[in-house]
Amino acid sequence: MALPANVYKDLEDIVGSRNISGDPAVLDSYRYSLAHTAIHLGPFFDTFTPRGACVLLPGSTEEVRAIVELCNKHKIKFKASSTFWSAQGFPSEDDTIQLDMRRMDRILDIDKKNMFAVIEPGVIGATLQAEVMKVGLNTHIPGSGCSCSTLASATSYFGSGPSNLYGGWHYDNLLGLEWVMPTGEILRTGSLGQGCGWFCGEGPGPSMKGVARGFLGSKGSMGVYTKCAIKLFAWPGPECLPVEGTIPAYRTPLPDNFKAYTVAFPSWKAWADAAYAIWDAGIGYLAHRQFNMFGRDLKFAMVKILTDPTKTLSDLEELLADPEVQEITEQSKREFQIILVGMTKRDIEWQKKAFDEILERTGGWKVEAMDEPHIHDWVLLYMIRLGHKNLNLVFGGGYDGCFGLLGAADYGASNAEEAALFKKKWEKRGAIVDAGGDCMMGPIGGQGGGGTCLWENFTCFDSADRESTEGTFEFFDACTRFGLEKGWGVGMEKWNAVARGPDGKTTSKKKRDTIHLGSPQPSVFRYQHRVREAFNPNDLGDAYYETLDDT
Amino acid sequence: MALEDFALETDRCSQCSYCKWIPFDQMKSWRFAKNCPSVSYNNFNSYSARGRYAVSRSLIKKQIPYTDTVRHIVFSCMTCGSCDVSCKICRYNLYPLEMVRELKFKLVEDGQDLDEHRAVIESLKKEQNTMMQPKAVRGKWAEDLDVPRLFSQKAEILFHAGCRLSYDTEIQSSAVAAVQILQKAGLDVGIMGEREICCGGRIYSMGYRDEFARFAGENIAAWEKAGVKTVVTSCADGYHAFKRLYPEFGSRVEVLHTVELLHRLIMAKKLEFHSEVPMTVTYHDPCHLGRQGEPYVPWNGVEKKIKNQIIVYEPERPRYNGAFGVYDPPREILERIPGVRFLEMERIREYSWCCGAGGGVREAYPEYSGWTAAERIAEAKATGAEALVSACPWCERNFMDAVGDDSMKVFDIIDLVKLAM
Repeated sequence: MALPANVYKDLEDIVGSRNISGDPAVLDSYRYSLAHTAIHLGPFFDTFTPRGACVLLPGSTEEVRAIVELCNKHKIKFKASSTFWSAQGFPSEDDTIQLDMRRMDRILDIDKKNMFAVIEPGVIGATLQAEVMKVGLNTHIPGSGCSCSTLASATSYFGSGPSNLYGGWHYDNLLGLEWVMPTGEILRTGSLGQGCGWFCGEGPGPSMKGVARGFLGSKGSMGVYTKCAIKLFAWPGPECLPVEGTIPAYRTPLPDNFKAYTVAFPSWKAWADAAYAIWDAGIGYLAHRQFNMFGRDLKFAMVKILTDPTKTLSDLEELLADPEVQEITEQSKREFQIILVGMTKRDIEWQKKAFDEILERTGGWKVEAMDEPHIHDWVLLYMIRLGHKNLNLVFGGGYDGCFGLLGAADYGASNAEEAALFKKKWEKRGAIVDAGGDCMMGPIGGQGGGGTCLWENFTCFDSADRESTEGTFEFFDACTRFGLEKGWGVGMEKWNAVARGPDGKTTSKKKRDTIHLGSPQPSVFRYQHRVREAFNPNDLGDAYYETLDDT
Repeated sequence: MALEDFALETDRCSQCSYCKWIPFDQMKSWRFAKNCPSVSYNNFNSYSARGRYAVSRSLIKKQIPYTDTVRHIVFSCMTCGSCDVSCKICRYNLYPLEMVRELKFKLVEDGQDLDEHRAVIESLKKEQNTMMQPKAVRGKWAEDLDVPRLFSQKAEILFHAGCRLSYDTEIQSSAVAAVQILQKAGLDVGIMGEREICCGGRIYSMGYRDEFARFAGENIAAWEKAGVKTVVTSCADGYHAFKRLYPEFGSRVEVLHTVELLHRLIMAKKLEFHSEVPMTVTYHDPCHLGRQGEPYVPWNGVEKKIKNQIIVYEPERPRYNGAFGVYDPPREILERIPGVRFLEMERIREYSWCCGAGGGVREAYPEYSGWTAAERIAEAKATGAEALVSACPWCERNFMDAVGDDSMKVFDIIDLVKLAM
């Protein structure tokens, strides 16, 4: 159903005729395929999120406020998204207005002294990082990569990534926030709300971070965040990353205070012990089990392809048959990547020694092949900028993570092999990429400074192939059953299935209530229900802000 | 191919939006981080490669009708290929530039082309040029040159001036200079003069595949008849057409851009500079010489899967990701010119920002075309350069039009070579 002409006209008056469209061709470019990367939801073959009622490109907070007020007047649902990485940013119901925040993309301030930046929704990790590096600072980039909105990651999700270890995940890093609430009122939180500037998320002034974000972020369901301040951290490197090499094998040769290692261990226990020791020692800038996302059997061959501009996926089988590649693959079964960055020469020397000591104690070793200069410098650039996130989808255009064991290093490490074996059996059925079972990847230090790891087992498939897509879904169902059987709980493969169903639309209340009532802490969702009633009385968002009304 | 051949790709596009940005690894600032003029100017997703995949899918599945908006979405693409480069950082089985070309072909075949483009085609059919000028005066630019006309004389090397340089009197001195320099270096060079016809490159990028094929056939036949071994051109559009597209139609001649040949001559010390050109310059990589200037690799293969679901091609398919375009020769020429101080812009080589003249955009949407050029001029100014140098007359013309009374000078690289000789 198209919007009534008078409503469309009112919206056009707010944003201008260039910034509104109701054309089906435009609207279809704002539909998200639930086949190729369902982001913990499906996948569902040939299924798209609903077509919006219109798309708006607001250019200011005032325009957003006016849009939201109009939506309240006419009881029209709206959904804002900045960089559209996942299904979460797209409408869940018919006749929803899609707000594309890309025009609001300014970096409003970089406060070098107090180490924060004030940004609008359209600012992505890469541009923010490029700008703050000029003044000796860096920004955390979430696991979704530097193409994603920093504000969205901080306000609407949890923003975990390789630099959790030193930079803190984005939930931690969110300072002042400007929020166009679901009713259209504007709330400024933390120190900003008291007129004291952007420096603090909690006060003086209204400490509304928990209310605004809710459980794991409100994902565009509770109004629109139009500005925020984000905490930055030290960057003791050049003002601009020096980039060499031929596309796509770009690499950055950095000074001696930067060192990238791929390290492997004789057992998962040793792997976990090393993680604890790294956190205890307080060393490391970024740490991630990164390249295992290609799979235990494929990862080094993939590194060879990605670091050689003359190679393609067609070279994969030949590389896998190479005895040298096989040997390196075997020796790096249980590995992760870590980047040490010294604030001074003395610091890097100390960190290197401490790290060597950790390896000695745990029996770990450095994978020498990953220390070849062209690979080392490629790893540095890959991890620091995180600009190759779309390699998730390199094989066939479809990927999603399953299991997602979140907890102390021991927790994932002690279950990783069993999960991998389970997946390996399913790989033999043919629907998903045969990658060696263990495609577990995730941060070493899931919270700022350490504490947890996340083990997400990447599952790759062909999104344009019905058998592959449906076979993957069948596998994910089996993962859920296996996870429950093992006491791990429901894995990441179904994280968002509570909010959106196989038809791309909001799930039924009955289904949501059943899931929330079965969760370990249903009261969280009851509390959110009360929040939603108070802040979003016309319920103009969708079920991604999870609520439980079991009265 | 047909648009339907891209149906699988429309489902395999990851919707990641990498196509809207230069390679993230290469980002140096907020200001110059975007790569696609189309989505940067129009903002809606549909104006990106990702959006055009969605539009293609909806057209294939007949979920949307043709509208003015669809035509605007499709023909706003300059086919500059920057989306293709960024996409292929991570993807080895998507070809967004080929998809968007196919989308244009389909609209033209379905009679959905633009009036502005139709006017060009109608004139082209009659006058054999895209400048809407009479063919009788095509050779006028060279009337004072003592150079063989290869429709009646013989030479190993053909210098193809192209439509823009043949008719644009303000900039065609660079064509004259190119021929004079090659002659001075002792090369056996000739021209087609008034018998030269359009390469077809620009109409190909507007979506007129059949018309392009006709011009390709006629040019190849003329070259064979004249016994030409090498075709040299200063036009990046022509270079791309001859080098990448003509081999499909049977062309076997060597194709060189003037900068490649000049570079060879300089390296072989057959061309030397004697005069200083005291100027701080920056260089704009033309899309069709840079990222689209990679050599043609014949391929007639099929898709297959390995390791269950990894999509590869049998035999290996050329990637065309801009890795091996023509980037270094022009830079090395500039660096060898005495007095020239060469500065790089932020977006260069395979991730260069387009000049705005391509894909029929200059003809159909002049304001947007001018905005695109102005963006590049702003980037050039940010380097501190006083001159913006390129190696394509279409880029040069678009920049000159956008500069207006501004202080930035615009040159073809041959102009500087000539000054230095």
